[in-house]
Amino acid sequence: MNVSLTDTTKKRETDAVVFHSYRRNPEEKAPGQFFINLIVNALLRLMAANFNLRPKLRKWLKGTDGWINFTVGIRSRDNSVKQSIYFHEGRVRALWGIRRKTDTALVFRTPRMILKMLTVTPDEMMIMLVESRMNTEGNLAYMNLFNFFLNLLMGKSQERYVAKKIKLNETERKKQAPVSEACHRTERSRRRNTRISGKRVDPGVKHLADPYLPEYGLEDFPRLEKLHDIAFRTTPKICHERPKLLTDWHREHGFEYDREGKEWVPELRQAGAFKYLMENRKPVIWPEDLIAGTHGTSRITPVCYPDASGLTIWGELFSCRTREILPYEIDDESIEILHHDVFPYWAKRNFREWVREEYHEPLCMKIDEHMAAYFIWKTIGMSETVPDYGRIFDLGTRGIVREIENELARDSGADEKKKHTLRAMIMSLEGMNAYARNLSRRALDDAGREKDPVRKAELLEMAGVLERVPENPPETIREAVQVSWLTKVVLQMENSNDGLGFGRLDQLYQPIFEKEIAALSTDEERESYIRKVIELIGCLFLKATDHLTLNPDIANHIFGGSPPGQTITIGGVTPEGEDAVNDMTYIILKVTELLGLNDPNVNARFHAEKNSDEYLRRCNDVNYITGATPSLHNDIAMIESLSQHGYAIEDIRDWSATGCVEPTMVGRHCGATSAINISIVAALEMALNNGYHPLMGWELGPETGSMGDERFATFDEFMKAFEEQYGFLIDNSVDYNNLLGLMYQKYRPSNLMSVFTRGCMEKGRTVVNGGAQYNSTGATCIGLADVTDSLMVIKKLVFDERKLSLWDLKKAIDGNFSMDAALHALVTTKVPFFGSGSDEAVDMANRIIRFTHDRYTARTNYRGGSHHTGFWSMSGHAAYGRLTGALPSGRLAGRSFTPGLTPEPNASRSLLDNIRDVAKLDPKCLDDNIAFNVKVVPSAKDSHEEAVNQIFSYSRAFFTLGGMQMQLNVMPTDMMRDAMANPEHYRHLLVRISGYCAYFVQLDRDAQLELIERAEYGI
Amino acid sequence: MERTPMILDIKGNSLDDGPGIRTVVFFKGCPLDCAWCHNPESKKTGREIAFDRKECVACDTCMDLCPERALSRENPYFIDRERCTRCGVCVGGCPSGALSLVGREMTIDEITAEVIKDRPFFETSGGGVTVSGGEPALFMGFLSGLLGSMKNNGVRTLIETCGYFKLDDFRKKIIPFADMIYFDIKIIDPADHRRYCGVSNELILENFIALRELEATGGFTLLPRTPLVPDITDREKNLRAIADFYRRHEITRAAVLPYNPLWKEKSERIGESEAAVIGRGGLKWMKNETVIRCREIFREHGIET
Repeated sequence: MNVSLTDTTKKRETDAVVFHSYRRNPEEKAPGQFFINLIVNALLRLMAANFNLRPKLRKWLKGTDGWINFTVGIRSRDNSVKQSIYFHEGRVRALWGIRRKTDTALVFRTPRMILKMLTVTPDEMMIMLVESRMNTEGNLAYMNLFNFFLNLLMGKSQERYVAKKIKLNETERKKQAPVSEACHRTERSRRRNTRISGKRVDPGVKHLADPYLPEYGLEDFPRLEKLHDIAFRTTPKICHERPKLLTDWHREHGFEYDREGKEWVPELRQAGAFKYLMENRKPVIWPEDLIAGTHGTSRITPVCYPDASGLTIWGELFSCRTREILPYEIDDESIEILHHDVFPYWAKRNFREWVREEYHEPLCMKIDEHMAAYFIWKTIGMSETVPDYGRIFDLGTRGIVREIENELARDSGADEKKKHTLRAMIMSLEGMNAYARNLSRRALDDAGREKDPVRKAELLEMAGVLERVPENPPETIREAVQVSWLTKVVLQMENSNDGLGFGRLDQLYQPIFEKEIAALSTDEERESYIRKVIELIGCLFLKATDHLTLNPDIANHIFGGSPPGQTITIGGVTPEGEDAVNDMTYIILKVTELLGLNDPNVNARFHAEKNSDEYLRRCNDVNYITGATPSLHNDIAMIESLSQHGYAIEDIRDWSATGCVEPTMVGRHCGATSAINISIVAALEMALNNGYHPLMGWELGPETGSMGDERFATFDEFMKAFEEQYGFLIDNSVDYNNLLGLMYQKYRPSNLMSVFTRGCMEKGRTVVNGGAQYNSTGATCIGLADVTDSLMVIKKLVFDERKLSLWDLKKAIDGNFSMDAALHALVTTKVPFFGSGSDEAVDMANRIIRFTHDRYTARTNYRGGSHHTGFWSMSGHAAYGRLTGALPSGRLAGRSFTPGLTPEPNASRSLLDNIRDVAKLDPKCLDDNIAFNVKVVPSAKDSHEEAVNQIFSYSRAFFTLGGMQMQLNVMPTDMMRDAMANPEHYRHLLVRISGYCAYFVQLDRDAQLELIERAEYGI
Repeated sequence: MERTPMILDIKGNSLDDGPGIRTVVFFKGCPLDCAWCHNPESKKTGREIAFDRKECVACDTCMDLCPERALSRENPYFIDRERCTRCGVCVGGCPSGALSLVGREMTIDEITAEVIKDRPFFETSGGGVTVSGGEPALFMGFLSGLLGSMKNNGVRTLIETCGYFKLDDFRKKIIPFADMIYFDIKIIDPADHRRYCGVSNELILENFIALRELEATGGFTLLPRTPLVPDITDREKNLRAIADFYRRHEITRAAVLPYNPLWKEKSERIGESEAAVIGRGGLKWMKNETVIRCREIFREHGIET
């Protein structure tokens, strides 16, 4: 597939080396650069001497394939400071100046910042990177390796520094709640213990007398209680198993070329490596398990994908143990294996570096690496989809292999690519079967050693289950749950563990549930069966907590607390358009209530014409009890939105949320739904600065005019400038996504994922090669409310009312409004914002989302598909907010944007205005969904039932008005304050960020404050 | 000529002014003068200008704009109410909203349009419109037209009244459009009532009795409410007298409204001195134990609160 690049990228690609025209240097040539050169050189010499002379350090210079050779440059942007360090064949040398070819370079905005860098921890260095006080050029893996070396030298002092910082942060957090409100600490258990009843009104509910299942509490399920406790108390531990096995295989069989020196067919190479991985992984069964299959050898494994973002942990292999947020355990042995054996092999073999190498570090890539305008998720993975579990439920792996063989036999005209692809699919399924067999054998072995007869029986049953599935279709819920989990594990062994959904579990499981329960004759048997099903679904939920995305510390700050995003979708309508709510829907809701986990991320579809209010009320009830889940979707709006693309209506009706909230048509749609995260605000800042981005300090976009220019005679002319900048960023984000996509085609074709995606087998192409029946790319656009409000200020005050000039506004923004209190008051109180009930502001928001949608859909992705646009932000609203100066809306520099497309807290004092305005957005432009976050606080005098009825009233009305998606945090702000000051009491406190849920105490301080500052509505 | 009220505010998403989610329309102007009045800015019928010190950014734009030179930082209340003609020029120039107009003229259609935006929320919650004040029955014709317009739009209505109105008019113009009436019974002793509320309560009690009789056939429900104000209405003698009065008229459900002094700031904004405020109502919060004790008195009389 040919990828068309935008003109700007093409043009700039040719002079990629010199394109950095940083115009406005904030610091004049500082005196004493010679002095700084001297210091840097001396320090690098010192570093070199240490590595050359101390054998304990020197041993780290060597990898399995020989000495690790690379060069790091350190320079200031103005080139007044220029030094480098050279690692070659076991010797280290500091060089005065920069050699012509460095593998990686740190470029500092000012010479002084170089001095600062030498004293900070690896994670703080990443923060400097994010805040654009420096940027990197060249290979990021080597930069991480350099950090690793720095950490070896300075580890002890860095540790002390981190410990001090943790103390300091603790003190700061305590300040949040000078008077701790201990009363909030019992609120969670109060809500859990006052359960309400429901009525059986849904036609699909056939066996639950009271679908709300109020008779069960977590205490009725000792196994779930135990596993739940383990999930919350276990420190995740990095495990080298997966990357090590893959490295071994590739070292033996070759990566680019096979042992005969022939270029590898990517599908066959990946299938061979995958099969080897699955055959040789250790089958692990934990003592409480009913379901087998793990992501590693530790209880909670942050999974390492060295061909994607796995190497970002290189610099922190030691320091990740002591970091403040979500520390990891890691054995010394694993550090040695990863450092010597695994990471050097992949240093140039990962998506970023492949693009850098093949396309000469194009502009679209550099923008991404400056981190302030957009972020392309493909650098981490592209597994955000919902695979076709139905296929394995119908056929088992044996039946699937037979289908593939039949296809090979049938299609005599198949090209080589198809033959290879189908063969690779079969090999991958063999790998899956081998892993299942190993687990079965392991269960049998364990049973042989087991003394406790109850556990022994469980293990024998497990062994039996794994004998039958996944080769055969599952026939019991027990087998179904095992197949769901195993399929997910193997897909995540092949692809990243990022955003891979469980799909519509209620639809998948209901037929099996009905068959099983119909065979029972007494009420006692049925009751005990229902209890068993709750336990099994609970086990599946808790299994999903056995892995995390492997995050360097910076990700804790940017993607605060974000889990792997394993969505479960319930309710809505069937492909035929009928009410889909059934017994399993309510059982899944019950498990959601009992466990209160951030992941699986439960999404409830509500179809106002088909689903009952009783069902919605139960979703509200679970939301009230858990505080933050499930999120609620308007089926009618989503179906309308997806209908614009010409997808078959029955496939659209079978949509499932993915990752956070984004729709995927189950099992037939490669939607890469979170591929692009873009900051709309970056474009606005560039429009205000004639193309220059202030934080990046970069003359980046087209010159669209300075604020003093006369060319801005009307608002539309300003809008045009904004759109030009925004379009420029959009085009570049598409370019980089497409280039990364091409690398997936070359290096990670995803055979097994293609088995589970309809269309791939017939076309003989994997998902990344456009094999899926439906292809699209998701772009989520962050900061809609902030940009809408800012444009409203410009429109109303500058152009309509002529109260101030663009230039005055610009000056005030540049000064962060510090000298302009009256102007700040004016913009924040006298302009109707989005969410205030102003049609003009809604029109403005619609204008922006239409532009976004038109611009993205005008481009084709590397699979020949279109784009879907969404307005949810994960935690990007806080991360990008930190990187953004003051805005015309009055939002001050560094402050978070609003989450998703949630209106600004002061837009209106009435939640109803917020709800109405959000509901007025054009659903066509929201085909990658939205996140509308509302924080509501039930009155203390309301009973459980009254509180639930209130929440119901708001959400039901929102859907009547046509709103697409809503997610509620149901808790008082003071509870969050108390949790900040006393985290030990709030281990389980679940909060909705934007699209996903996180545990409040695992968030960084900025993210916590952002949640606290959101508007709170009493209900 | 029919009198038209100033509208003080239209507040959406209210959960404390009747069942469900409600939108409250506040009329300006009240025949009573209760010492503890919670909405002091709703007492006078005419337009007023409010100044909120907290919002002021001290840009002094308004001082130059005022044709009467009535604004000064030397003045602790900022606005010289003697000089001020309430022309509103200063409000137009204030960037921060520290200066604002209290009360605006609105037509019935305008109010209706504003309220029915919230109809989806009324439908899902069992809510509707609440007309409050001030005293809405002070503008009987306008109120009647507004309620009629609401009913035409399928919105359930609730009127909050102090009970000081002409019964005949009320029966003819209001009752046909009222789904609920919240009726304040504050003080039973006429002398006390005159002392704290500025008028005697005979008319009020007569009206209440009349409405109670109409309730069975009138298509509305009536809920009496008593504000619990420390040392004024919460005295045992008064509460027992109210409870007796309820029992005589077979009332089994009533409401109590525990007092809070949050209105103090509102008073200051329209130029009342702190001394005047303290002198009239006191700034005490209602203690929870006291509220429980008060409710107990009603319960003894067989009245749920």
